[in-house]
Amino acid sequence: MEDVRDLKELQFDALKEVANIGAGHAATALSQMTNKKIMITVPEVTVTPLEEVSEVLGNPEEVVAAVLMHMMGDLTGRTLLLFPEPSAYDLCDILLRRAPGTTTEFGVMEQSGIKEVGNILSSAYLNALSDFMGMMLVPSVPSLVVDLSAAVLTSTYLNFGSERDYVFCVESEFQFDGESSNLRGHFLLLPDLASLRAIFDAIRVG
Amino acid sequence: MTTGEILVHVAEYKVGGPGNVLLTIGLGSCVAVMLHDAGAKVGGLAHILLPSPALSRRDQNPGKFPQTAIPLLLQEMAGRGADAARITARIAGGASMFANLQPLGTIQMGERNLVAVRTALTHHSIPLVGSEVGGDFGRTVRLFADDGRIEVSAVRRGVTYL
Repeated sequence: MEDVRDLKELQFDALKEVANIGAGHAATALSQMTNKKIMITVPEVTVTPLEEVSEVLGNPEEVVAAVLMHMMGDLTGRTLLLFPEPSAYDLCDILLRRAPGTTTEFGVMEQSGIKEVGNILSSAYLNALSDFMGMMLVPSVPSLVVDLSAAVLTSTYLNFGSERDYVFCVESEFQFDGESSNLRGHFLLLPDLASLRAIFDAIRVG
Repeated sequence: MTTGEILVHVAEYKVGGPGNVLLTIGLGSCVAVMLHDAGAKVGGLAHILLPSPALSRRDQNPGKFPQTAIPLLLQEMAGRGADAARITARIAGGASMFANLQPLGTIQMGERNLVAVRTALTHHSIPLVGSEVGGDFGRTVRLFADDGRIEVSAVRRGVTYL
């Protein structure tokens, strides 16, 4: 496999299954942390030209809180957790035990809280993948930015991926169930091309 | 979007005349090259993604790189009546987001883009008269073709003019 465009249908399905296991564990962790019920979508595997990644999650002008971490060990790549700004505020209210609607800015406490959520979710996701594939996966320290979705997505691929043409992402969306706040977020797994091969080898999908 | 606004997507370049506003959203490591001829009221904006075609295998999109986008921008501006001798350049973007995850000793793509853009501008003898670059945050820019004013906005940092 020279290029992410060479992926076969079966490989897409396999990646979705892998992502589902990871996202399921991450959602459970988030649910326990917040004591809320969480729904996750069927993961989507997308292959897009680098030029178009800014629009892969919808509105490029949406302000998001984004936590990026390196994935290290038997696989390399990154995980990216994105919350739209209002959802990030709601999440801070829950985590910091504030009345709903209290958080209106990202101070030190709020940033720390969101990074911790990133840490816990990525670790849960990667742990599930480790167990499933018999690999050792370790997350790096988290890095947080609050910025336009377009800037976050493009910079993530530009600065850290080695692919400059077609890029690849496995995305799960999660949403708090039965909440008036409509709290939602995206979890992206961004394995390097070499690691995609390692995933297929581990789950025996050629 | 208001009337007269022209949206420039990632790795695109567009030209506008009197009444037009060229807009590009969410520059992170990318760099916006904005050329303007005040006499002809013609502006051009290129949303540069990568510093060199050498980094890309699929290099047919000239809007991606400064070496290829800038001459095309100049050509289109000339077609709209711009005089190369009057054209000035300003640049924005080239940020380093998530810089603390970057391996030590590596040069960020934003910085590489800025170097490549400045080199290409020098190559075409276009004077660089303003820049709003670097940092760790994204930017949205608007170039008003009428007076050449450039509005740079960033999340929670407000608006600056170039």
